[in-house]
Amino acid sequence: MGEVSTDKKKGYMHGFKDGIPIGLGYIPVSMACGIAAAKAGLSFGMSEIMSILMYTGSGQAAALNLFVGGETAIIMYVITLFVMNCRYMLFSMSIAQKFDKSMGTLQRIGFGLLNTDEVFGMAMKEKGLLGFPYLLGLGTAPYIGFVLGNTIGACFTNLLPAAITSALGIMLPAMFISIIVPSAKESKPVLIVVLIALVLSFVLECIPFIKENLTSGWTIIICAIVTSLIGAIAFPVEEMGESTDDE
Amino acid sequence: MMSSQQFLYAVFGMAAVMVVFKVVPLLFFKKKIKNKFLNSFLAYIPYAVLTSMTFPEIFRSTSSVFSATIGTIVAIAIAYCGQSLIVVILSSSAVVFIVEQIMRMLAN
Repeated sequence: MGEVSTDKKKGYMHGFKDGIPIGLGYIPVSMACGIAAAKAGLSFGMSEIMSILMYTGSGQAAALNLFVGGETAIIMYVITLFVMNCRYMLFSMSIAQKFDKSMGTLQRIGFGLLNTDEVFGMAMKEKGLLGFPYLLGLGTAPYIGFVLGNTIGACFTNLLPAAITSALGIMLPAMFISIIVPSAKESKPVLIVVLIALVLSFVLECIPFIKENLTSGWTIIICAIVTSLIGAIAFPVEEMGESTDDE
Repeated sequence: MMSSQQFLYAVFGMAAVMVVFKVVPLLFFKKKIKNKFLNSFLAYIPYAVLTSMTFPEIFRSTSSVFSATIGTIVAIAIAYCGQSLIVVILSSSAVVFIVEQIMRMLAN
């Protein structure tokens, strides 16, 4: 018994340490989210609820974009999140094959709630099977960092000089760049997909009819679906994600 | 503009979508997707979404297009050199700050 609980503690601590850099990275990003929420006119309570319930920086940025853009249809917010979160289906499928026996239903739910792009990436780097203590530890610091950063951002928006908030504004898109660029550098198809999405996104922005009639949520959805269809037709993928063929 | 209460409902809706995507597949899909086309489509979705969210929005993310452009170039260059997320966002943000301070001094 004693040995089992030390093992669990060890696993948790190992995971917690792996999660610290991710958690630190989230603080400025979610600070930017908190600032953006305050700028959009949301109350402190609302921005806290949003950061606690919606554990996604990119999702929050998209939701605030829609809100500022005057989108009033709730279904548009939901569809945007839907499209943006399709990838978790894939993440889940590949990571589930690395789960060990400690991952029962409750543990799967718990890990699912804490999962993010970066947590997924870190977990897939880990060799061998993944246990619940490790995954719970891994997910802890990023979530704390995310909610903490949002709180700091929402609290101090009005205290920060304009020069600082302007400089913080680039953090969120810069985070996306730090996710996109390494993959585009490694894989030519990803690079081409990214370039097509980039051009299409600018083109959609330049067409007056689209700009006047569609909210930014729609242009993101259209751009993502068209680009990914082109990618899937031109460069079919053999194996998804990191290879997990250890059966 | 939607009211705070409406936005709260939107947040609940979005949070529910997150749970569905993050949790449900872990419980039910334990096998790999066999359909190659669907696999490929889903593989490109994250990059396509992130790119269209980043551009052209990033150029409006600071108080001037010029500082944002320099910040974007710095972020891409540093990410290309293999630096971590935190290094990329902090240096791009720092460059925006410096560029804007220089611009202000030149304007005066």
